Amino acid sequence: MSHHQTQHQHTECTSCEEAHPSRFRGGIVPTEAKPLTYEEVNTTVLAMLEPPTYRWWLFLALCLAAVAIGGVSWTRQILKGMTEAGKSHPDMWGGYITTFVFWVGIAHSGTLISAVLYLFRAHFRMPIYRLAEAMTVFAVLTAGLFPLIHLGRVWYFYWLMPYPNERAIWPNFRSPLLWDVFAVSTYLTISSTFFIIGLIPDIAAARDAAKTKFRKILYGITSLGWSGSHSQWKHYTAAYLFFAALATPLVVSVHSVVSWDFAMSIVPGWHATIFPPYFVAGAIFSGIAMVITIMVPLRKIFGLERILEPKHFDAMCKLILLTSGILTYSYGIEFYTAWFSNNEFERAQFWFRPFGEVGAAFWGMTFCNCIFPQLLWIKKLRTNIPFVFCVTILINIGMWLERFNIIVQSLSHEYIPYSWGWYNFSWVDIGIVIGSFGWFGMWMTLFVKFFPAVAITEIKEILPAPRRVAQGGNH
Amino acid sequence: MKGPKAVVGVYTFIDDALSAIELAKTSNLDYRVYSPVPHHELEEATLPGKSPVRFLTGAGAVMGCSAGFALAIWTSLDYPLRVSAKDVVSVPGFFVIGYECTILFGGIFTLLALLHFCRLPNILRKIGYDPRFSQDKFGVVIGCQTAMVDDLVARLRQTGADEIQVREGL
Repeated sequence: MSHHQTQHQHTECTSCEEAHPSRFRGGIVPTEAKPLTYEEVNTTVLAMLEPPTYRWWLFLALCLAAVAIGGVSWTRQILKGMTEAGKSHPDMWGGYITTFVFWVGIAHSGTLISAVLYLFRAHFRMPIYRLAEAMTVFAVLTAGLFPLIHLGRVWYFYWLMPYPNERAIWPNFRSPLLWDVFAVSTYLTISSTFFIIGLIPDIAAARDAAKTKFRKILYGITSLGWSGSHSQWKHYTAAYLFFAALATPLVVSVHSVVSWDFAMSIVPGWHATIFPPYFVAGAIFSGIAMVITIMVPLRKIFGLERILEPKHFDAMCKLILLTSGILTYSYGIEFYTAWFSNNEFERAQFWFRPFGEVGAAFWGMTFCNCIFPQLLWIKKLRTNIPFVFCVTILINIGMWLERFNIIVQSLSHEYIPYSWGWYNFSWVDIGIVIGSFGWFGMWMTLFVKFFPAVAITEIKEILPAPRRVAQGGNH
Repeated sequence: MKGPKAVVGVYTFIDDALSAIELAKTSNLDYRVYSPVPHHELEEATLPGKSPVRFLTGAGAVMGCSAGFALAIWTSLDYPLRVSAKDVVSVPGFFVIGYECTILFGGIFTLLALLHFCRLPNILRKIGYDPRFSQDKFGVVIGCQTAMVDDLVARLRQTGADEIQVREGL
């Protein structure tokens, strides 16, 4: 009761083990009663790098099996052609582009949490940003596969790059598809670099605590000889700040450029100026949901309850509510714009989406993205971690359906009724989409076992520095 | 950090480490501070002022913007695609390329600046380094002549060091 003045405060406090013994197991006491020390942060996070159990190997095997399915499907497509993927008139873009936009969207919230919230000095980001940034890098790696897969003749991918060639031609820089190449490549480069820079001091901590020769060598090389001297920290914090400032415009620009793949065309349902903010809000929405989907099991498996607290989930759920609101508004505005425009093709498209052959996809999207997340207005549900996990799974499904609605439904129902048609998923298509989830899962699984998945240094930064004479906190 | 001997003070508390830094500065001795986390008080005591990283970031960004627009404009003139009587050099369309190249080059130059100023990768011996400095201890390493070691050790003990080691310096 030492941190309370009265018995009433002690009883009301939800952090005290004595007042609420049933809420605590294993002797873990939350941070309000007993703040973490620097040593405990190191010990807790580096314990995640201990040799894996059978569960890790099992999950990795599942991911590799999914990658193998994707590999077999892609091989079939290369041998037999793009018709194996279900692509035919009028839906020349289908599952691949839907999944590409899905993965690029997932990547955005990682940069939002690591860069944008860093600039805003939002301390709640500290325990979650490393996982979010890892998710960004691996999601962009996954997304980057799809333009290559969609090329068909993937060995000609270098034609997308501007290089002098004997054909004396250059890529068309006026095309949104080429803007996409530059945007996603830049995003991958900057995100990876930002991620690796943030990892350096933590890898140095892992190096100093490594017990096996393999890990000493691995972390010795990847830490680049970091020692944490005063001059290194000075230049490091400056460089990190500039990286955050450079990455911040990418959060807005990359998915805006992706949205222009659609908005710069004249397809009904695509040619709308709301697409850039609509896509960016949707990207952040799906990305935060995916961060929570990854965080919840890792928190349980690795015992990170003292670091990933309910207040962090509460803050992220508020972001989910905000972006869900923006998305709901965008859906409404799309319908309103179609009606107000008096353009018969636009109106027909927006009648087809909810009431056409695959209206279920539209209603599924609306339920998952607009209706169900509204339950997060209730604070008790925002801090109920199993419930939040279920919400985020539905959001991820809903966001895939949103991209499906935009891409496939629009292409299926364009101007001329004679050319209306439908997209048929093939097993190659489905196999490659499954493979992409396996690819992403494989990288995340390897990452959490070999490198610190929680930012040791940044959590220490928000703890009060140890002082012989007690003063205010570190910030 | 100059001196044939390096006296290493290992500290648990940051205010003790700051006292040791003050001691090194008043004695006009070369020193280095290791810490598990950046701290504004340590920065103000050791290297006040701004890092020069920002100059390279700015230079990279300007170079990237120029390079992006130059690439798009030059390639359009070299291979002039006729696009419905629109301008061959259409600057609004090239804005995305210039913008992305600005960020790309700015980021690459920031990375190079970081590696340069932090002297990374560093395969050399780190004088006075202790693995505990990446965990929860602060280290103040002071370079001195051999004759000064005993006096320095005594004065560092007064600053509250948990442990004092004497090692070979530069």
